Amino acid sequence: MEPNSASYVPGSCPTRPEPEETGLEFLQFRDEIQRLMTVPPENASSFRALLELPATQAMQLLHSSPHSAAGGGDEHKRHSSSSFTNGNLTFPSNKALIERAAKFSVFAAAAEISPETSSVPSNSSANSDKVKTEPAETDSNPGSSNKTQTQKLAKRKERQKKGKESAKKSKNESREDAEKLPYVHVRARRGQATDSHSLAERARREKINARMKLLQELVPGCSKISGTALVLDEIINHVQSLQRQVELLSMRLAAVNPRIDFNFDSVFATEGGPLIDGNIPSMVSPLMWPENPFTENRQNFQQQWNFDAVHQPLWGREEENHTFITPENSLFSYDSSANSASLHSNQLKMEL
Amino acid sequence: MRHPSSLKQEFLKKWILGLQRCGFSSKKSTSIMERKKAIKLSADLAMASTRNGTACWSRALIANASRDHESKILAEQILGPESQSLKKASSTMPPVICSRRIRSKKILKRSCSSQVRRVRKIALPQKVLSANSVAKRLVQKRTNILKSLVPGGEYMDDISLIEETLDYIAYLRAQVDVMRFVASATEVVNRNSD
Repeated sequence: MEPNSASYVPGSCPTRPEPEETGLEFLQFRDEIQRLMTVPPENASSFRALLELPATQAMQLLHSSPHSAAGGGDEHKRHSSSSFTNGNLTFPSNKALIERAAKFSVFAAAAEISPETSSVPSNSSANSDKVKTEPAETDSNPGSSNKTQTQKLAKRKERQKKGKESAKKSKNESREDAEKLPYVHVRARRGQATDSHSLAERARREKINARMKLLQELVPGCSKISGTALVLDEIINHVQSLQRQVELLSMRLAAVNPRIDFNFDSVFATEGGPLIDGNIPSMVSPLMWPENPFTENRQNFQQQWNFDAVHQPLWGREEENHTFITPENSLFSYDSSANSASLHSNQLKMEL
Repeated sequence: MRHPSSLKQEFLKKWILGLQRCGFSSKKSTSIMERKKAIKLSADLAMASTRNGTACWSRALIANASRDHESKILAEQILGPESQSLKKASSTMPPVICSRRIRSKKILKRSCSSQVRRVRKIALPQKVLSANSVAKRLVQKRTNILKSLVPGGEYMDDISLIEETLDYIAYLRAQVDVMRFVASATEVVNRNSD
């Protein structure tokens, strides 16, 4: 069979010599195919590529057509594509596929009855591209018992392939590209366009989806939602609400303190006093400041605050390092609640 | 991501510094709106400076702040001496390049749309609104909204937009926490000393 396979002439489809094939001959064919596979690469590397890949592809086409309806199509596709990528290199997978497809094609061939011997070669001659692959398939498909059956099978495969011809070619190319550029790890899945543009698009989409998942985890209540638009809705709402909160809080702070440089020190004092002994004396003195203005009349606020302001820079900047670091530590380690804060401030006042 | 509490501490420090810097220049502005603006601005700048220009939105925030006439002076005051490097980083890179990009994109759009529009008008009645296209349009709308929300978002592509949003949300949360804390604490102080 090797010379037959080597001489790829359009229209020379009836290379298969003989008539009926029993199970033995079926095995023979399988052996021949294996021999074909084991042809050293120097002889026909691209040829072998054409041989193997179309063969495996065709088998997968056959193989997956009943399965594609089922939900397990994805797995098959992935499996097939993974074995696909190894198509040139690993023989065992091909053999397994061939066996499977052989069994399958027996059934498929049995299902079809009408022989169309003449039509097949003419069809094959019509398409120069597919000619090479077709005889390969007929040769490599060991399952058929009839010449007509094989041809019928080939025609069916060709029909199926017609729909995915360009995809297949670009799959080859894409695989080669993927092999050349190891960092592009995008699986060319079945039934998806696989030219470089769509590959890049798919990579981009996967990146976006990964990051969207992160966002979903960050934003509360987003993990249950499916669908990009709704998730984006939630994210937008979240961001808007956070921004509004910032505005409200800054308004609140501005309302609370008549001056911009309000008393951080007192704030820290009330919160962090009990936790830090060393700072209590420093805390105590600023605590005096807020008491004065607050006990005074509100109309005198500004004067008091000015007084406050005068003293504050001296105090604040000198002890910046101490007070800012430690109260912050205490602040954030301290579980602040209004009740406890008032408690501590009372304690400090009592100490005074 | 950085540890949130250290982030908050840093933010608080810078915020306080900024407030002090901007408050002491004069005894002006007792109006609440101005105070609020100053507080918010100093908070924004504090947070942005903690990122040290690593995030695009921080640079955009600073750039926007320094571009506005009203807030420019305040911003300069608040940022103070450290502002030089930040200003350089923020002023040069994003707006200039991005405005160029935007301009070129607009030109492209204009040139393309004039041709496409005619074709589309013919094709519209035959065109079937597939679910895909509808979904894409929805997503596109929302990404535009998001771009307008996140500072500096209009200049970014989708992938970096999402990363920036992540960053920005974390920052907003920290800011809200700190401000809420300070606000409640001051209110407590006020209440107690009254």
